[in-house]
Amino acid sequence: MKRLLNWFLWSLLLTTCAGAQDWVKTGTGLGVEKIRLAVPDFKASTQDAKNPDLLKTFNDTLWNDLDNAGIFEMSSKSFYPLGLIGAPADIKFEAWNSAPVNAAMLAFGNLGVSGTNVTVQGWLYDVKNITSPQVLGKQYSDAATSSAVRIIAHKFADEIIFRLGGGIPGIAESTIYFVSSRSGHKEVWAMDYDGANQHQITHLGTISLSPRISPDGSRLAFSSLTKSGWEIQMYSLDLNRMVAFPHFGAMSQTPAWSPDGTKLAFSSSRSGDSELYTTDAAGANLKKLTSFKGLDLAPVWNRKTGAQIAWVSGRTGLPQIYTMEADGTNVQKVTDQGYAVSPAWSPNGQFLAISWVRRYGPGAPGAADIYMMDVASKQWVQLTHDGGRNDYPSWSPDGRHIIFQSSRAGGEQIWTMLADGTNQKVLTTAGKNTQPNWSWK
Amino acid sequence: MAASAEIFFEHDRWGRNLAWSAGLHAAIAACITLYAVVVHSQGGTWGTGGGGDAMGVTLVNTVPLPAAPTQTQNVLANESKGLTHSEPKPVVKEPDAIAIPDKNAKKKPKPVTSESRQKPQPEPEPEASNVVPFGEGGPVSGPYGVFNAGGAKGGFGVTGGGGDFGTRFAFYVQQIQRKVSENWLKYEVDPSVSQSQRVYITFDVGRDGHPSNIRVEQSSGVPSLDQSASRALQRIDTFGPLPSDYSGNKVSVEFWFDYKR
Repeated sequence: MKRLLNWFLWSLLLTTCAGAQDWVKTGTGLGVEKIRLAVPDFKASTQDAKNPDLLKTFNDTLWNDLDNAGIFEMSSKSFYPLGLIGAPADIKFEAWNSAPVNAAMLAFGNLGVSGTNVTVQGWLYDVKNITSPQVLGKQYSDAATSSAVRIIAHKFADEIIFRLGGGIPGIAESTIYFVSSRSGHKEVWAMDYDGANQHQITHLGTISLSPRISPDGSRLAFSSLTKSGWEIQMYSLDLNRMVAFPHFGAMSQTPAWSPDGTKLAFSSSRSGDSELYTTDAAGANLKKLTSFKGLDLAPVWNRKTGAQIAWVSGRTGLPQIYTMEADGTNVQKVTDQGYAVSPAWSPNGQFLAISWVRRYGPGAPGAADIYMMDVASKQWVQLTHDGGRNDYPSWSPDGRHIIFQSSRAGGEQIWTMLADGTNQKVLTTAGKNTQPNWSWK
Repeated sequence: MAASAEIFFEHDRWGRNLAWSAGLHAAIAACITLYAVVVHSQGGTWGTGGGGDAMGVTLVNTVPLPAAPTQTQNVLANESKGLTHSEPKPVVKEPDAIAIPDKNAKKKPKPVTSESRQKPQPEPEPEASNVVPFGEGGPVSGPYGVFNAGGAKGGFGVTGGGGDFGTRFAFYVQQIQRKVSENWLKYEVDPSVSQSQRVYITFDVGRDGHPSNIRVEQSSGVPSLDQSASRALQRIDTFGPLPSDYSGNKVSVEFWFDYKR
């Protein structure tokens, strides 16, 4: 009894102490959970015939960007209160922060065309925090075209994701480079992260493979079949033309940029055996990294530190993934069974995404699937299970998405998924599309 | 007579050798079995052993992705323990059967162990004044969040400027909580530890969102847990820039980690 009384007194004391300090409520948003976000359609702010089309493009793009971000739980539009919201004065907080909408955040705004320009005003409100709800307020202005409106929607979505996603920029403005045969030759193509705006980059009329965009997005390294055999080629996206890069001869393939953009690693058979080499970005200072009998190819740098390289080696028979320091020391085997290729280092340096046939050989029907491995602990998770050959994973700049090539639906196409293996979607349909590479930002 | 005695004698010696031999064989067989068991149990690292069920399932939690949506727990009516220690009810053990008192039995005076006779218990430790009793009735006051991830729990408090950071920028506070919990890799904690004291980490968040000044304020007593907690912070480059309408140049955060396997 005495103890109970004591206890009671203590808790009373603690409560009053806490009250005296300037501590405040956080509400009920406890637990690690996705942010519940409501995005009502934007309202037209002017009377113009172009408004409805542009509004539809804008609303769809914004919704898809936020839905694909992987950090929000989108509150379904059918629950929203009636009437459009165009400005902060229109918000009735109780209607949004309670059931059935139950949103924590509300993104809303208006769009209006006047003359040839379109102006978009967008806000992000924390509707559970009625006293100071505004998290973000933005205004954009551009030409009144649907592509400009798409970009505005991407920018606004990225801004929201940057605010609410822990300072990691959104990927709505990132680009994916890939190899497509739809023009008759295997050429490098590019598209937006959501599969829109697919366009051809190279027109070499030969076979071009393994495009790798530089960290600053200005240059594209790839390998293609030339008169002297397979060579590393360089395309400038600033100049929109090929730029000179030394020809090393002897099956030079699979280039990879260091994260600071100053070095390039690739594989070449200059010594008679396929080995890894590095050069600086202009192709000078060739250095040999490996010398071991057996295939060595597909290098990739640790994207966070730039201090390590992961690659595929056939030195023990079937190809396996290895890591080493960037100077060639401290070689470690990462996988030790099956057939493992295509390492891709995550932006935070913690994971390797690989394509792995875990049991390879007769009597062991295995499909190539995308796996993710924690480099330090060597724990791994299988991300694809749906059959077909899944290969060439590449990480999104925010580390929340992986893009890869899959033949599960017949021909080889490019698929995207969240980095936990959910939300898999196909992005391409025309021709054969392979070897995707996501831009660094 | 002597010959037969010799035969008996030889038989006797042979039997003993046979027993020794059988014993040694059995011992060798046991050694081999033991060795195989030990080697297989220890050598079965990732990837070998080949079972399709060898997935490191915990990894999914460590992916820098938000976890699957979990049901929000009502703070006021959940079953999780509060910050303050609540004493469990003493279990009163009912005797199975009451012995019939025997008149002739010698009465032995039982030592009295009533509560009044016990050594006075130490007073419950006063918690730091900024710790709010959580889930023990009464409104929760304080910018505290609690998260659950794979059986482990953590929470935090934030101070900044005029002390109203938590009210004005609740979304940022939640962001800190989310990000730290995502970056806490529980496999770094010594696997032999199943439960431990809470570890308090304090750090500052600068205007650019970068955590600095990461210190273990109060150790849990488990070095690997302390380390995994500070590593969770070190792993984070940024929480995102502080809200632009916030005037201070840093926010101080106290974050606690409760570990339970």
